[in-house]
Amino acid sequence: MRLGVFQSPTKVLFGEGTISGIGDEISQFGASKPLLVTDKVLLEKGVLEPVLRSLDESGFGKLPIFSDVPPDSDVECVRQAAAFARQAKADLVIACGGGSVIDTAKVLNIGLSLPGDLLEYEGINSFSQALKPLIAVPTTAGTGSEMSAVAMIMDKANGKKLIFGSRYLYADLAILDPNLLCSLPPRLTAGTGMDALTHCLEAYVSLGANVIADALCLDAMALIFQNLKLATTNGDDPEARANTLLASAMAGMAFTNTGVGIVHALAHTIGGAFGTHHGLTNAVFLPYGMNFNMPSSYERYARCWRHLCSLDPGASGAKYGISAKLVMEADFEKDARSLVKAVSDLADSCSIPKRLRDLGVPELADDKILELAAVAGTDPAIMFNPQEASIEDLSNLIREAY
Amino acid sequence: MPVFSSTEELQEVMFTLWNEMKGNPEIAEKLISSRLIVQFQYKDPHGLLTVDCLDGKEMKIIVGKTELKPVIEMSMKADVAHEFWLGKVNVPMALMMGKIVSKGPTPKALALLPVIKPAYSIYPKVWELKGKNQRVG
Repeated sequence: MRLGVFQSPTKVLFGEGTISGIGDEISQFGASKPLLVTDKVLLEKGVLEPVLRSLDESGFGKLPIFSDVPPDSDVECVRQAAAFARQAKADLVIACGGGSVIDTAKVLNIGLSLPGDLLEYEGINSFSQALKPLIAVPTTAGTGSEMSAVAMIMDKANGKKLIFGSRYLYADLAILDPNLLCSLPPRLTAGTGMDALTHCLEAYVSLGANVIADALCLDAMALIFQNLKLATTNGDDPEARANTLLASAMAGMAFTNTGVGIVHALAHTIGGAFGTHHGLTNAVFLPYGMNFNMPSSYERYARCWRHLCSLDPGASGAKYGISAKLVMEADFEKDARSLVKAVSDLADSCSIPKRLRDLGVPELADDKILELAAVAGTDPAIMFNPQEASIEDLSNLIREAY
Repeated sequence: MPVFSSTEELQEVMFTLWNEMKGNPEIAEKLISSRLIVQFQYKDPHGLLTVDCLDGKEMKIIVGKTELKPVIEMSMKADVAHEFWLGKVNVPMALMMGKIVSKGPTPKALALLPVIKPAYSIYPKVWELKGKNQRVG
């Protein structure tokens, strides 16, 4: 059996209204001074109303709130948040927001719980002490950060991304309440959903893939195919929201144990250079990345496709343009191509831009493309990609996706 | 039983290996241009080796304690290092499994992996020179 690793120590509460249990959960940790980390938009738009109400009803109504987290959190913001948390003598951290908020909360928790400067803990497995309890409450369905052992923070002053990875960064509890996502705009719903789909498809073919993660990837992928369009076009549908939220968490559990791949490496690079939305950038690169990985991964992709179709054999033909009989007879490569097409069709149905230029990336000269390809070639994500990629391969993918 | 019988043996093998890499322009130039100080901290047996490319001109290899402040620290069992140089360790997976600890900007360390890959073929020769080929068999 291939060597592997799987960890997922996070307790998960999921379903409509589960946020009402947050007070009891805080008490179970023995905490009395929780700190809430969020962003201003969520606070001002009233998205956090159910969270604040639940906290109030549990006697935590006057808790300190740090709401200055920007969309791409910076190390300075995290330092401020950590200082705020120390001053408030917080003994538990609640992160309520998207990936940036949750990652900020994870890293501020290092600053709150451990001595010295935050940057001393940059790296992988660089500390071995438990931190204060962390409760993650995602308000988007895509990053999977609520289930991962990694946090990424920008160091804008030095123009680089800092990676913190440790088993002690897992949230102790994740509360997946779909009601908190109902006001998420369609474009963000679609973009974050495609991020989760990318997590599934890259984790499933990754060099670190393992059977436990496989099971999560397959069912998370199916949930996304079945629900993302509805969640995007009808954000008030609690079932669609719940299913995409669950899928995002499952994909997060998977990829934090397997790594991702070339699509993430390219999306990190383009996002870092042009500030494009991570999920949308992944969505643009995903079909190209899958086609690139086809020689090494077509059987795995075909298994994904067959899983999708097997869930609803009668309807799968109508849904994905292929009959059940044909599915069983088709060869692996053909099925793998069908999956790539289904991914593109799903993105189309959610009105996701098809090209990097549609995301605002300017026309790129050859030397700039080479430079970007070189950056992507050293992104940690690419180390898990099943197909080795040269700078020329990466350049071609950027050109194709442009 | 650990591959390395003592700190002295470990440090001698690692120093010889890095010295060979220093003498190989294909590897050395790329390492020097990284301008990094990378420190390898080994256990079972204990060992310490620092590669200093900070000035962008020269690659210095320091065995044992040093006052230099590394940019990246990589800690692992000496056996893991041995397997690595035999090309048998997937570093990202080893990081995920907790077999390697990386302190500092991990992506910069990972970016050097393709650069040092040619040294996989040098490592067995280092043992050969010591007359202990069986350790890499």
